[in-house]
Amino acid sequence: MLNPVHRLLAHQLSRATRTDGEIDLPGLLAMVDLAYAEADRDRQRTDRAALVMCEEMEQLNADLHKMAHHDALTGLPNRAYFCEVLMRQLALAQRDGSPIAVFCIDFDRFKNVNDTLGHQAGDLLLRQAADRMRAAVRSCDTIGRIGGDEFLLLQTAVSQPQLAAQLAERLLERLAEPFDLDGHQAFIGASIGIALSPLDGSQVDELIKHADIALYRAKTSGRRQFCFFKHGMGVRLRERRTMEQAIAHAIADKAFSLAFQPVFGGDHYRDVAGFEALLRWPHPGQAATPPDQFIPIAEETGLILPLGTWVLESACREAVSWPAPWRIAVNVSPRQLGSSDFATQVADILRRTGLAPERLEIEITETVLIQDADVATQVLRRLKQLGVRLALDDFGTGYSSLSYLQRFPFDKVKIDKSFVQSLTDNASARAIVGAILAMCRQLGLEVTAEGIETGDQLAQLHSQACDQIQGYLLGRPIAWQELGDFVARQVAGRVAALEPG
Amino acid sequence: MRVETCRWTPGTGWRTERSSGARRADLVIYFGSHQALRCGARFAELQAAWPGARLIGGSATATILGGDLDEQSVVAVAVSFAQTRTAVAQWDCVTHADSRACGAAVGRRLAAPDLAGVFVLADGRSVNGNSLTAGLNDVLAGACPVTGGMTSSPSDQPTALAGAGAPPAPGVVAAVGFYGSAIRLSSGRACGWDSFGPRRRITRATGNVLFELDDKPAAELYERYLGDEIEEDSAAGVIFPLLMSPPDQPEHAMVRAVLTMDRDSGAMTFAHDVPAGWMARLMRGNVDRLAMAAADAARQVRDGLPDRIAGDRLSLMVSCAGRFRLMGQRTVDEIAYARGELGPDAACLGFYAFGEIAPAGGSGLAELHNQTMTVAGLAETEC
Repeated sequence: MLNPVHRLLAHQLSRATRTDGEIDLPGLLAMVDLAYAEADRDRQRTDRAALVMCEEMEQLNADLHKMAHHDALTGLPNRAYFCEVLMRQLALAQRDGSPIAVFCIDFDRFKNVNDTLGHQAGDLLLRQAADRMRAAVRSCDTIGRIGGDEFLLLQTAVSQPQLAAQLAERLLERLAEPFDLDGHQAFIGASIGIALSPLDGSQVDELIKHADIALYRAKTSGRRQFCFFKHGMGVRLRERRTMEQAIAHAIADKAFSLAFQPVFGGDHYRDVAGFEALLRWPHPGQAATPPDQFIPIAEETGLILPLGTWVLESACREAVSWPAPWRIAVNVSPRQLGSSDFATQVADILRRTGLAPERLEIEITETVLIQDADVATQVLRRLKQLGVRLALDDFGTGYSSLSYLQRFPFDKVKIDKSFVQSLTDNASARAIVGAILAMCRQLGLEVTAEGIETGDQLAQLHSQACDQIQGYLLGRPIAWQELGDFVARQVAGRVAALEPG
Repeated sequence: MRVETCRWTPGTGWRTERSSGARRADLVIYFGSHQALRCGARFAELQAAWPGARLIGGSATATILGGDLDEQSVVAVAVSFAQTRTAVAQWDCVTHADSRACGAAVGRRLAAPDLAGVFVLADGRSVNGNSLTAGLNDVLAGACPVTGGMTSSPSDQPTALAGAGAPPAPGVVAAVGFYGSAIRLSSGRACGWDSFGPRRRITRATGNVLFELDDKPAAELYERYLGDEIEEDSAAGVIFPLLMSPPDQPEHAMVRAVLTMDRDSGAMTFAHDVPAGWMARLMRGNVDRLAMAAADAARQVRDGLPDRIAGDRLSLMVSCAGRFRLMGQRTVDEIAYARGELGPDAACLGFYAFGEIAPAGGSGLAELHNQTMTVAGLAETEC
C-alpha cells in the first residue's frame, strides 16, 4: 500500500491529468502547494488547541483553588481561608504588637426572609449584605462567610477598642437599612460579638470562640447590638446551653407537668369560674426549676413552640371533663402568637379534645402586641372567630396602652398582682385599680385581679366590684394529680377550705 | 449479485468505470453534486440506461467512487440481484417538525417479514435526522439494519436533494428496502476523533442550537480555540466537534458537528440536536487517526459479510462533510484505508453527508452520527 504522501501525490497527479493524457503542471503544483498549506494549518490548529487547553486547565485549577477558599454565593473567604488569614495576621500582630479584632456577625431575622420569601431571596440578601459589609471596611480588613448567615470579620491595627466599636456601629447601621429583594423590602439587622487580641486570646480558635460567646451575649441582651467579649461570659453561656439542652430533653421525655390555679367569681367569690394552667418542671427528689428560669430560654430558642402546643393540648384535655361553664386559661408566648398557623393549631386542638371554644381563654401579655402588632391582630381575630376568649394578662405593668383594649378583641383584662399587693397601703394603687375597673366596665370587659393574698385585699376588690379574683388566699395552684379531688368536692357543693396564703 | 459503476463529469458525460456484464439492473444508487443533479437530467439518463431499475440517490458535497473523491461529478452503481427483491419509498415536503412521522411512515411502507435491510437518504438541510431515525425505529425496532445518510449541498444552497423512483428534490426522504433470505447487509462505523480538555455540562441549548457550556457562552470557548480562523469562516467550528453523552451514561457518547456560529448572540448551530443537561467535551481530529478510523469501519463490514458470496460485493460509504473539510486533500486517505480493508474486488460508492445513519452496536436501532465514517456492505449468499 502507498504511504500517505505517495498516495496524495498519485491522487493529485490523476486529477491533474487531462483527458488527452497530458499533465496540467501548474494545476499539479497548485495542488501540492495546497497540500502543504493544509498540513501547516493542521499543525497550527493542533498547537493552538494544546495552548488554549493548557490555559483552560490553569484557569480550572485557579477556579478550584478559589472554590476551596471562598464561599460560592458571596465570593468572600470561607472559614478555612479566613482562619488562614487570621493566623498570618496574629503572627504579624505578635511581632509588631499591633492589636487586632475578630467580629462574629449574625443576622437577626434572616430565617424569616428564607421562610417567607424563599431561598433565592435569602441568597440575594446574603450577597447584598456581603457587599454592604465589604464597603464598610478597609481593604486591609478581611470578611469571611462561615455558613448560613454567619460572618467573621478581621480588623487589623486596632490601636484602641473604640475603633472596633465604631466599625461595629457602622456595620449595624448599614445592615439595619432595608434590603430590596426583587421588589420586596426586608429588614433584618444584625448582632455582633467582638474579641480582641492579645487581650482575649492569641490563637485563632480561641479568638473566634470568644467572639462567638460575645455574639451570643449581644443576641440575648436585645438584638441589633454589639458586645465585647469579657471573661466569665463563657461560663454563663455554658450554663445557658446546658439549660437549652435540658429543656429539649424534658420535652422529649415528657418531664413537664401542669398545675391549675382556680379563679373565683360570683357572689363573694364563692364560685369557681375556671382555672389558669401553669407550667411546671418538677425534678424527682429535687426542687422544681422555676418557670422564669426556663421559659425565657425556651422562648428564645423556639423550644416554646412544641412546649406551648403540649401545654395547650394537655390543658384542654383536662378542662373538657370539668363542669360547664368552667373555663381554662392558657398563657401564650409571643413566639407562639407570631406563628401564622397558631389559630389553626388551636382549632385542631379544640377539635381533637372536644372542648367548647368559649371555655378556652388565651392569655397574652402586652409584649406580644408591641413586637408584631400586624401578625398579632390577624391571629387574634382568627382566634376570636373560632369563639375562643382572649385575656390581656399583667395589665398595668407594661405600656398599658389603652388603645390595645380598643384595637384588639379582648374579653378580659387581668390586673397585675403588683397593684393588688399595694391596694391596702397605697392610695395611688387603689386609684389605678379603680380606674381600670371603671374603664373595663365601660368597655364591657371582664376583670380578674391576680395575686390576692389577704382578706383586706379581697375586701377592697369586692367593694370595687371586681368580677373575678385569683390568688393564694382563695386557692393555690393544684397539681394535676390532685385536681380530680378538688373538682369532685366543688361539684358536690363542698367548697374547699380556704387556706390563707 | 452483479454491480456496474459509472461516473458522469461535466466535461465528458457518462463513462463506465466497472462493467458487470449484466444487461439489466434492479437498483441504481447514485450520488452527485447539487449542481449536476438539480436539473433532473442525470436521473433521466440513468433511468434510460437501466429502464427497469429502481433509482435512489441524492446530492453531496463530494462523492466517492472506487478510490476517487470528486466534488463535481455524479457517481452511480447499477445492481442486478439474483434472488433479492427491492422496494423504494419516497416522502416529499418533509420538515423538521414531521420528520419523526415521516420516518415511521417510511418504515411502515417498507416493513415486511422478510425485510433484510434498509438504505435511507434524506435532505440534510430540511429534515431532522434524529427524528427521522427515531421514527424508523418506532416501526422497525432494530429488526433489520438501517444505514444511509443525510444528503449534503454547498453552503449557498438552502436545501439538499434526495429521491427514490423520482428525480432528486428538496425536502425528500427516500429509502430502499432489501428483501429475501439471500441478501446480507452489514455495517460498520468509526470516527477517530480524540476528545480533550475538561468535561463540560451543556447548560443552555434548544434543539440543535447550543448557547452555553458550564454557564458560559459556547461561542466564546470556540473563539479561543479557533483563533484567527474564525475571522475567515463562520463554520470553522467544524474542526472541533463535540462529544456528548447523557450525564449518567458516558458509554452512549455521540459526536455532533458544528454548522455555524453566531458570535453576536453566542449561539452555535450543530448538525443535530444538542440536549441540555448532557455532558460534552471538545474533540480534535488528527488526519492520520481519522483516516485509520475509516479502515476500522470497513473491517467491521468485511467481518460482517459471509465468506462465500454469489457474485459481487458492494460497499456504500457515507462519511461526514466535516471530515472532508478537516482532512482536505488527504480525505483520499480515508477512502484508501477503507478500500484496503474491503479488498480490491469490492465496488465502492459513497458520499460526504450532513449526518450518517448506522445501527447502534447493542440494540441494532438506527442512530444518527456526525463526523463519522459509516460503511454498509451488500452481498448475496450462495444458495
